[in-house]
Amino acid sequence: MQMSEQPHDHIVRGLDEEQQRLVGELLRMGEIAAAQLEASLDVVQRRDDKAAERIVANDEAIDLLEHEISRDVMRLALRGPLARDLREILAALRIASDIERIGDYAANVAKRSMSLNLTPPLPQVRGLAALGAVAVRQLRDVLDAYRDNDAEAAERIRARDAELDLQYTSLFRELLTYMMEDARSITPCTHLLFMAKNIERVGDHVTNIAENVWFRVRGDEVLSPRERRDATHAIRSPE
Amino acid sequence: MTNLARNTGMNDTVYTSVATPHSPALAPVPKQKLSARGLGFWYGKQQAIRDVDLDIHERQVTALIGPSGCGKSTLLRTFNRIYALYPGQVARGEILLDGLDILTPDYPLALLRSKIGMVFQKPVPFPMTIFENVAYGIRHHERLSRADMQQRVEGALRQAALWDEVKDKLKQSALSLSGGQQQRLCIARAVALRPDVLLLDEPTSALDPISTSRVEQLIAELKRDYTIVIVTHNMQQAARVSDYTAFMYLGDLIEHGSTDIIFSNPIKQQTEDYITGRFG
Amino acid sequence: MSAWHYTLRDAKNALAHGFALLATAFGLFWLAWILWTTLHNGLAAIHPALFTQMTPPPGAAGGLRNALFGSVLMSLLGVLLGAPIGILAGTFLAEYARSSWLGGVVRFVNDILLSAPSIVLGLFVYTLVVARMGHFSALAGAISLAFIVLPVVVRTTDEMLRLVPAQMREAALSLGVPQWKVTAQVLYRAALPGIVTGILLALARISGETAPLLFTALNNQYWSTDLLAPMANVPVVIFQYAMSPYDDWHSLAWAGAFVLTLFVLLVGLAARAIVARHRISHD
Repeated sequence: MQMSEQPHDHIVRGLDEEQQRLVGELLRMGEIAAAQLEASLDVVQRRDDKAAERIVANDEAIDLLEHEISRDVMRLALRGPLARDLREILAALRIASDIERIGDYAANVAKRSMSLNLTPPLPQVRGLAALGAVAVRQLRDVLDAYRDNDAEAAERIRARDAELDLQYTSLFRELLTYMMEDARSITPCTHLLFMAKNIERVGDHVTNIAENVWFRVRGDEVLSPRERRDATHAIRSPE
Repeated sequence: MTNLARNTGMNDTVYTSVATPHSPALAPVPKQKLSARGLGFWYGKQQAIRDVDLDIHERQVTALIGPSGCGKSTLLRTFNRIYALYPGQVARGEILLDGLDILTPDYPLALLRSKIGMVFQKPVPFPMTIFENVAYGIRHHERLSRADMQQRVEGALRQAALWDEVKDKLKQSALSLSGGQQQRLCIARAVALRPDVLLLDEPTSALDPISTSRVEQLIAELKRDYTIVIVTHNMQQAARVSDYTAFMYLGDLIEHGSTDIIFSNPIKQQTEDYITGRFG
Repeated sequence: MSAWHYTLRDAKNALAHGFALLATAFGLFWLAWILWTTLHNGLAAIHPALFTQMTPPPGAAGGLRNALFGSVLMSLLGVLLGAPIGILAGTFLAEYARSSWLGGVVRFVNDILLSAPSIVLGLFVYTLVVARMGHFSALAGAISLAFIVLPVVVRTTDEMLRLVPAQMREAALSLGVPQWKVTAQVLYRAALPGIVTGILLALARISGETAPLLFTALNNQYWSTDLLAPMANVPVVIFQYAMSPYDDWHSLAWAGAFVLTLFVLLVGLAARAIVARHRISHD
């Protein structure tokens, strides 16, 4: 189906306004989540406990927005939407849920950084920062794709998650090696592992959002199954 | 969930789903009961329908939707040649019922009308008793004994989900029934002849919401035995009630296919615009 | 918009309302006076002999028996002759000639007949029947009355059938029933109250028609049941007796007028009752 041209306005103008508000809220929610993620990575580098606490507290804003969006979706649903309008609200509902999870992961990273601060800094923190930057880039890109109704961009973003997975796998390996070399580093490395996992999960949620963007624009045509490059499940300790 | 488009070789496409772990397969594409081929219709000099090719599938509900003046009611009325009442109204092309063209003068009108029944927008019970209303059409086509006739009438009223409400007052005037009941009586009257096809022209637009729901439930039951074509200007109703939907605009058939697809992801921009209320 | 504007508007409204009431009262006044006069004078002459005795010569007592009989007979005959043709013609117009040129012509001619002066109709029947037969007759009277009934029934039947919703017609036809059966079994039933009302109104009209009977049935002093002979009838009797110098003939004329008025009133009420009952039975 080739219908990415701008559709006409609804005859009932309120519908257009409500839809636009919904999109706006989603974008705002996504931007807050992206900012939270960036801030939490920054806080890991700077080892700032106060800032970390603020990030954890800010997560509430995302939750509130999700409630708001649920209410708006309900209101739109009452109008009995069909076709594009129906896909709009279904996509919005799912995307809001994904962004909320991303927000949670960002807050988790910030929280864990406080535990990390109890031990001397690790060199792998740089690896985490790099991983996080990719995730942030992915998130911002998918939000742009949503804003622009760009299904092709969504597909590309979804495919790029493979890179994130690769980076995560190599960081995983690094951390394992480090832990085996120095037993005192096990605690902080484990924290770092969890944080890396959180960021990898952020990437997965971004791919969910991408699929929903595709659904919103293209309808029921489904994307081909994506490549998963997360090979950490296959890592065994060298004997 | 995957969807395939299958070309039936007649320039129209019918969508079906294939079985996946999550959704059972629909029945294989049902056969065509009624088909319009190259159908054109004129009110005097004005052309109301342009070159329509449409298949109506057996024992399925097909909805015709579109804005006022698009030709959907006109199309419906060509199927039983009721337009022939009015001079100056002309249909050209073919309409095949079980393979035979009903537009030719050879096809007997009485036979056509016994195979294709119609229910109208406004409930129009005849000024007779309830029993007589249902028996009227039967009497003209068949000679039945009194007991047989009573059975037939009861059967028809049961099919129309009206029997329980009227079984004690069959001898009362049909005009004493409520609007919703009158419409169901008209449906009973039509199914009493045991037609193959039922044409419903906006059957619930004059009814309140509860009566509307009753009639929709009725349609869901009736489709087991009858092929149903329904004209409706209520999009939600078409989405609820039909298996296939055809969208018309200014006399042209713009798009048609499985209802699920038309209402979730139509192909043509025009279709989506109409469905989502982006133009009237 | 100041309050003064609204007051002016109200005043104009009240004034118009007042004038309308006055005009109605004016019309009703004369009507009431006529009815009262008829009642007053006629009632004095009502006695059972009215229905048992024949029209008398001047100076003698008598009744209106032969005249009443003659009126009833000729009116009924007139309806019997005119109504069936009228119904069939009206059906043709409504079912088969709704928008054809023939239908237009027929309707036009019918309208002319409807408003033709009854004396002209009487004269026509005189030439056609009386002159041929060589004498006046009740039959000729009935025929002239039929000519008055005919256009009324044609018009009413046409209108009433057209009022039946097209969808009812289509619904019956879509059952496979042929046109003529649909008309006879469904449409007539649906339009019946209206058609019957039309006939009743025609009946009420012809019971008072004097001019055509003057040229056709004339009058008869005596009791007669012969259709081929002149027959007594109430309007002509009223005409004759009222013009006479005799008092007892005058009182008989008033009695006749009263009975006639009462009859027309009853027929009118019956027509209304039919319409009202029919209306109630609809949703």
